[in-house]
Amino acid sequence: MEVRKADRKQKKFAARLKCSKGIVCTSIPTKFIVLCNVGQATGLSKEAIHLLLGEVPHNDTLPKYIAEKGESHSYLIFSSIQSCEKFYNMNNGKWKPDVKGPPVYMSYVENVPNSEIVCQYKDPQGLHIFSNFISNDEESLFLQLFDSEDDVNSSNLKNRYVKHYGYEFRYGSNDVDLTSPLEEKIPKECDNLWARLRDCGINLERIPDQMTVNKYLPGQGIPTHVDKHSPFGDTILSLSLGSDVVMDWKHHSGQHVPMLVPARSMLVMTGEARYDWQHGIQPRSWDPVLEQRLVTAENGEEKYVKVISNDTRSRDVRISLTFRWTRSGPCECNYKTLCDSVDKSTDNIEDSLASNLEELHVHQVYEKIAGHFSTTRHKPWPKVVEFMASVPPGAVVLDLGCGNGKNILKRNDILQIGGERSWGLLSECKSHVQRVPAADCVRLDLLQAGLRDECADAVICIAVIHHFSSKVRRIESISTISRLLRPEGKALITVWAKDQTKSNYLCKSKQTDDSVKNDEIHATVGGLSLPVHENRTQFQHNDLLVPWKLRNIKENKIAGQPESTLLRYYHVFEENELVNLCNEIPNLRVEKSFYEEGNWCVICKKI
Amino acid sequence: MKLITHNMLTSKCLKGVLQGYPLAINATDVKITEVDFNPEFVSRIIPKLDWNVLWGAADSLGHSEGLPKTVEPKYEDQEFLKKAHHVLLEVEIEEGTLTCPESGRQFPISKGIPNMLLTEAEVQ
Ligand SMILES: [Zn+2]
Repeated sequence: MEVRKADRKQKKFAARLKCSKGIVCTSIPTKFIVLCNVGQATGLSKEAIHLLLGEVPHNDTLPKYIAEKGESHSYLIFSSIQSCEKFYNMNNGKWKPDVKGPPVYMSYVENVPNSEIVCQYKDPQGLHIFSNFISNDEESLFLQLFDSEDDVNSSNLKNRYVKHYGYEFRYGSNDVDLTSPLEEKIPKECDNLWARLRDCGINLERIPDQMTVNKYLPGQGIPTHVDKHSPFGDTILSLSLGSDVVMDWKHHSGQHVPMLVPARSMLVMTGEARYDWQHGIQPRSWDPVLEQRLVTAENGEEKYVKVISNDTRSRDVRISLTFRWTRSGPCECNYKTLCDSVDKSTDNIEDSLASNLEELHVHQVYEKIAGHFSTTRHKPWPKVVEFMASVPPGAVVLDLGCGNGKNILKRNDILQIGGERSWGLLSECKSHVQRVPAADCVRLDLLQAGLRDECADAVICIAVIHHFSSKVRRIESISTISRLLRPEGKALITVWAKDQTKSNYLCKSKQTDDSVKNDEIHATVGGLSLPVHENRTQFQHNDLLVPWKLRNIKENKIAGQPESTLLRYYHVFEENELVNLCNEIPNLRVEKSFYEEGNWCVICKKI
Repeated sequence: MKLITHNMLTSKCLKGVLQGYPLAINATDVKITEVDFNPEFVSRIIPKLDWNVLWGAADSLGHSEGLPKTVEPKYEDQEFLKKAHHVLLEVEIEEGTLTCPESGRQFPISKGIPNMLLTEAEVQ
């Protein structure tokens, strides 16, 4: 009776797995078992399985446990069919990991999901990890010294316990204030670390003068970042206590290398690792097990590769001691991409680079987001309505970069022609203009607009020119506007302002959260590295990439970004910058310049 | 694309092209849409157009009947304005091409939208 009930249950689970997950169960024994009703989502841990196997009298090596994230089934991989069969017969429908819960139902499967990833890249240059750098006793001593949760001087950084010695590391500006050293210096207990580093071949000219203690509970992490160049020297140390962790290293060329940082190890970042790579820790309570595996290459050579295996290991509380050397003045490194002492402006980039940047991060992005973008933009902006209302009857008006045509008003006494590059937006615009008596649209590029000279009485160019990535191209675009205007004709031009303090764009809660600004992400396009903007915060640069989050669409992958995020290039304008550009065009005179809702705007006249 | 729009288009941004005007029309699908008649608008807009080019465009589509080849600087004739209105706003090219008179470069018209985009190599 019992057997038949277990049989029925098991068949039910197998059918459900096949139907919802496509997992095919088999009654013929294999080396693989699916545990139908327990997994990562039900909280089954590898330890529970090991505990069970500890009670089983056979000498096989432990099976591998694969528990995919969010799933309530999991797998065991045995070294032989016999040991698998033995385990199955002994435990199927009987084993209760939770005494009060239901038993675990199992089935043989032909294969298991393989999410193993072979790391194709070399470890970052200049990164050294010395295992067993300190003894267990020393680790206990350090933990006693630095693991004091109720310390009043600690600040709560996204729930992470942080404490500073020597100088306070300021998370807002990502540096230290050299004029206000802290009373507490790096404790003398750290002193014997320095000689040991020298023994490892790390030459220290002087000892570090700044230390930060970070406490990571399982589940906590730190976003990918580079330690800001200019405030600190070319070596940064990190001593790990309490738990192993996997640290992710990312290079702007797209390389991604996970590194195991064991407890009691000393991590030393110098050169490329210090200046040209970003590092971070994922916020999760477990890490994948990294394996060194011997593989035979195509040329027959054997070599070790790093494999991110399916296996996982849970984290404990980890405390890291980061040691830095403070310095002043601009950074003198040779790694310009992530360097805060390099001017990030794209003002003077070559035309081919600029047009490539715009193709990838303006044109292609707008094509992809056209539908979604359009649903978020329906109302013309009051200042545009005001300008358009002032246009006299019988006028020819051009809306250059018209998007979905929301600024084309329902007037029957003027001719309105919209020009736009994005096909997706133009289709939206076309259906809009069909409801307006004298309106039409054309696919064109502002830099080579196929429209006759002096054909327009008025031009509007709303939120367009900030997408041109070099100063030359921004001037050319305004020059086009001037070419198209009749003498005495007027143009309204608006661009995003760098200063967003007087707009609704800023999100209040994000402004006060300094830790957000701490970790700047960069993306590289054609050799140019541009900062990726944190939406709803003040702009930190003039040339940047602004994320656009798509809904439910799998789009192109950009390193470090979720799949549905696209990056749009913007040049955000300083005060007077737009006026100065207009003044470079001989026949254009600026009549009015104003700031409105985060935009710089000008009204100018062709003379 | 309405014929009033065609009146403003040029291919002069092409390398080696001086005027690029007017663009020759080759339409495979033309539709007529009814648009509210605003005589005041029509009489105001005519002086801003190249009438010869408009007439030529209308003629090439077989819509020039009753449309004078030249216009006097008086536009009070309601019948004339109505005819002009029809040609300017109601005759629309859905599918076809526009051709540069100097280089022969063709610009497709698709779903009523002329595509005037140029590649970088084509630009002056
Ligand atoms: Zn630097």
